Amino acid sequence: MSDKHLSSQFDNDLNTLCTKLLAMGGLVEQQVIDSMKAFSKMDLALANQVIERERDVNHFELEIDSSCTELIARRQPTARDLRLVMAVSKAITNLERAGDEAERIARRTKHMIEVNLVNNINTSEIKLSGQMAISLLRRSLDAFARLDTKAAAEVVEEDKQIDEEFRAFVRKLVTYMMEDPKTITVALDMLSIAKAVERIGDHSKNIAEFVIYIVKGTDVRHISQEQLQKEANG
Amino acid sequence: MNTQNNTDNLTNAIEIKNLNFYYGNFHSLKNINLNIAQNKVTAFIGPSGCGKSTLLRSLNRMYDLYPGQRAEGEVIFTGENILDAKQDLNLLRSRIGMVFQKPTPFPMSIYDNISFGVRLYEKLSKSEMDDRVEWALKKAAIWDEVKDKLQQSGLSLSGGQQQRLCIARGIAVKPSVLLLDEPTSALDPISTAKVEELVTELKNDYTIVMVTHNMQQAARVSDYTAYMYLGELIEFGKTDEIFIKPKRKETEDYITGRFG
Repeated sequence: MSDKHLSSQFDNDLNTLCTKLLAMGGLVEQQVIDSMKAFSKMDLALANQVIERERDVNHFELEIDSSCTELIARRQPTARDLRLVMAVSKAITNLERAGDEAERIARRTKHMIEVNLVNNINTSEIKLSGQMAISLLRRSLDAFARLDTKAAAEVVEEDKQIDEEFRAFVRKLVTYMMEDPKTITVALDMLSIAKAVERIGDHSKNIAEFVIYIVKGTDVRHISQEQLQKEANG
Repeated sequence: MNTQNNTDNLTNAIEIKNLNFYYGNFHSLKNINLNIAQNKVTAFIGPSGCGKSTLLRSLNRMYDLYPGQRAEGEVIFTGENILDAKQDLNLLRSRIGMVFQKPTPFPMSIYDNISFGVRLYEKLSKSEMDDRVEWALKKAAIWDEVKDKLQQSGLSLSGGQQQRLCIARGIAVKPSVLLLDEPTSALDPISTAKVEELVTELKNDYTIVMVTHNMQQAARVSDYTAYMYLGELIEFGKTDEIFIKPKRKETEDYITGRFG
């Protein structure tokens, strides 16, 4: 927030809120990175670490949520300040869910390692969309930190590519399963992981939409891409 | 910028057109254009000295009591310009009532506080007057507290009760518009809540215009909010929009507390 309040404590409270959100975002980003790495390398130790750290993500959500409630009770924020607090409160829900998805990837990976599933499915789409999801999450958080609506609009736009990769991968999985029913077990794990990656992209997109809401005051969820671009860049 | 007709297609109780106000040489209101919607609550907010009380006082010519104060422009109410010199001020003020910042009960009984104004305009029988007093006190949500002591002095009531008595007095003459000049700034939170509740209740029958220093109060009770600064109307619109997504940066700075 550029301009200062008459009450510097109010500024401190808002800044602290944003800092905590970004710290939580950093943790979730690391969770996603590690879960994808655990999946790619079939690394059991790393998968366990992700599952273990999920608790920290949940703890962050509770802490930030209570800060939001406290700030509303004490300061009765209005206009842009109110929009910021509301957006933080919703963004942490998205972050927490993205964290859940990372945990899901780690658990599925762990399962595949433990039952020693033989994998002969080409997972390049998952790996690619995993990299894209990590990038989207990072950029949505950057856009939040800098209140950059243009960058936020780009995130929203690019989430579509992840959705596209996901659909392509599902089509491919179906062909594997039809060819050889023995692949079904592993394919279901793969499907679950691919879906988790796709959801992480969606959560990043939601966070990016909140950035536009904070700055422009327009709720850009559920509107056409054209309108959204107009709002973000107008 | 000063032409703001943001009251949708509602009926306007009052239309303010190119209103300028002067305290002697001081130009206090600058070309105000604003519509007050019927049966809605319109709040004027802004820092001290911005002209919000002056604007309110123009709506029933309160300023006429003071020499050297004059208004130019038009304030249209039921088809007539209030600012017209030939206006019957007593009649005007019975149709546009006012309640002030500090409770101002007359030094007489609670009953007479209400009946006094009514007698000026209407000839009512004793029983009709009793009914009117009861009606007004009920409307102002104070009847239950005073019904057993109507002959006691209005000054014996608490601050919050006195203010509601003044509101009852204001509505007893059945005005169509009620002007409230910081009606709760001298009241405790519970009395404030009662008055706010009352305002919401009263808008079914009256058009209400209030000046308040308490922005949260404007947010709570008003349908429309006008933000004023240095005698100018900066922004006027639906209260929800003003408090969530104001159009002008000046408004945003003020309501978020960045005004310095």
